Amino acid sequence: MKELILTAIGAAIVNNVVLSQFLGICPFLGVSKKVDTAAGMGGAVIFVTTLAAFVTGIIYKFVLFPADIPYLKTIVFIVVIAALVQFVEMFLKKFMHSLYESLGVYLPLITTNCAVLGVALNSVTYGYDILTTTVYGFSTAVGFFIAIVIMAGLREKIEYNDVPKTFQGSAIVLVTAGLMSIAFFGFSGVI
Amino acid sequence: MNITAIIIAALVVGGTGIFLGFFLGIFGEKFKVEVDEREEAILGVLPGNNCGGCGYAGCSGLAAAIVKGEAPVNQCPVGGDPVAAQIGDIMGVSAEGGVKMVAFVKCAGDCEKAEQDYEYTGVEDCAAMAFIPGGGPKSCSYGCLGYGSCVKACPFDAVHIINGIAVVDKDACKACGKCVAACPKNLIELVPCDAKNKVQCSSRDKGKDVMAACSVGCIGCKLCEKNCPEGAVTVTDNIAHIDYEKCTGCGTCAEKCPKKIISRAG
Amino acid sequence: MAEVGIELDKNSSLGKVCTERLHNGIIKENPTFILMLGMCPTLAVTTSAMNGVGMGLSTTIVLVMSNLMISLLRKIIPDGVRMPAFIVVVASFVTIIEFLMKGFTPDLYASLGLYIPLIVVNCIILGRAESYASKNPVVPSIFDGIGMGLGFTCGLTLIGIFREILGAGQIFGVQVLPLADAAAGKAGYTPITIFVLAPGAFFVLAMLVAVMNILRDRAEKKGRPLPPAQGCLGGDCSTCGSSGLCSGHLHSSEKNKSE
Repeated sequence: MKELILTAIGAAIVNNVVLSQFLGICPFLGVSKKVDTAAGMGGAVIFVTTLAAFVTGIIYKFVLFPADIPYLKTIVFIVVIAALVQFVEMFLKKFMHSLYESLGVYLPLITTNCAVLGVALNSVTYGYDILTTTVYGFSTAVGFFIAIVIMAGLREKIEYNDVPKTFQGSAIVLVTAGLMSIAFFGFSGVI
Repeated sequence: MNITAIIIAALVVGGTGIFLGFFLGIFGEKFKVEVDEREEAILGVLPGNNCGGCGYAGCSGLAAAIVKGEAPVNQCPVGGDPVAAQIGDIMGVSAEGGVKMVAFVKCAGDCEKAEQDYEYTGVEDCAAMAFIPGGGPKSCSYGCLGYGSCVKACPFDAVHIINGIAVVDKDACKACGKCVAACPKNLIELVPCDAKNKVQCSSRDKGKDVMAACSVGCIGCKLCEKNCPEGAVTVTDNIAHIDYEKCTGCGTCAEKCPKKIISRAG
Repeated sequence: MAEVGIELDKNSSLGKVCTERLHNGIIKENPTFILMLGMCPTLAVTTSAMNGVGMGLSTTIVLVMSNLMISLLRKIIPDGVRMPAFIVVVASFVTIIEFLMKGFTPDLYASLGLYIPLIVVNCIILGRAESYASKNPVVPSIFDGIGMGLGFTCGLTLIGIFREILGAGQIFGVQVLPLADAAAGKAGYTPITIFVLAPGAFFVLAMLVAVMNILRDRAEKKGRPLPPAQGCLGGDCSTCGSSGLCSGHLHSSEKNKSE
């Protein structure tokens, strides 16, 4: 249990997926203009990543490892993740329409999100079992959610600032991300 | 060369692909959501701004409501009559013509006419003025602050800050109502496009206070109310208001107004 | 995403097309500086110039091979399964490259780590496959891959050199700025370590974007605007080079909200 909590905190905060590992930069910069869209994206990422971590963990343990073909994990994982996201989109559209309205648009964007594939591959590298993989996936996505919502809040405030013309747009966002990254460095002594 | 390993690898990857293909195919059919083709057609005709002026959640929300029969075909204020007619064709009903509305900012106190209590430098947002002493630097507590919350809200770039107050461009305005909701002082009203007389003030202060704060504000003298032949103008709370159902555009109120706060031109 | 197909008519020879593709990829539409694609690996692996070169070259090889394959198969792959097919092709080549690197360049493999398999989801590869290789014949596609890949490599290397000099005083492992040594009383360069850490990557990229903004403004004033940035640094998803991947959903919903 203690290891699970440590893994979770490590994944969410200490080695934050966006600010330390640089995974998921694309949506982090692109979808963080308003807090609601950012929260929607973060929610979708949590949903998909947890599910994907669970499924890829199972596939690795019961299919790839026994068949002695662990090297095929890249191909199999990405294909499974893509199919999973498509399935989740269909499922939500049919059965949970309100959730689809709020999260659904972001789902296809998550397919090629480095973060999801990164989680799956990292779990294999670190040798986690299925439960730890799922927890790892969930907490990584929570870390993404925290980062993207903070960034959206900051960006909403930056709109009122007098940013020099050269830095308007992506440049000031990247500087902000750099400062956030330094802030998250402060967590490195926590565990 | 370990042929078995190659075969196993090929089988696993191929098998995964085929399994997923079937999986998605089957569930694609089972989870298919029936979409009424009329809804698609209506969505294609609607302007696609998702401004919410119709009162529904975006154009797709309105399309769904029209198909279900919950909304009339002329609900979209942005598309106006031409779009209503097209939707009417799709649904097989005739569309009634609607009155084109535009937004109107009920304040004339620009930089020259209105007094300021103090000079303000800081966050330029009308909604944030609630936290500023006195509700903002303007002396008149009902006046337009000119920091542009309405400008930011407008999806059609129809509102601009000119000389310190918001001014609506009638040709660009689509009466979607976003500026009306955005103004924290509720200064913006939707009026008929061809309305010839409009009261350009919202101040409920008594005449003396109004004149101290602004050189053109409505002082509530009721000359317009007394002289209106149709009884379209009423003065309540020291501010004149025109009822456009009754107004004929004769312009008597504008002539009689001592502060000339009722605009004449359409 | 603009159509970039080129018809081979009588006037343009194959050689000219290929040279044009090389010039396009390295200079005119350089993925790092102009198109701003593939930012994840740019931020992550440019801690040293060597890593930058290594990642750039691996991506180039994958890009060339996958462009070749997809161009060969472009008439066979049905439109509905376009994206999954591309992804499988790219993933296969990435696995091959991963093996080769593990065997022949173990140091590079160890320092690049997780980012080698993540070449699969590199926007550049899928973007080029979608926009060029699936619509053009084989040889131009190969040269497009070489051009874009070399452009990416140049970008990564330059950023890597910059970060390495500031962060460690080295280029390609060679100590070009002698380090200061307070104990021995030797004057020299005190490395700004943050540049080789995570925040430094963000700051360097921010500077790069700012410099590119200045160059873009100047080019526009001269009347010859640079090609617009694609990908998520273009400001919103409408410029995404891989907008096909989200089926355009995010693009159209964002577009509607902003109109």
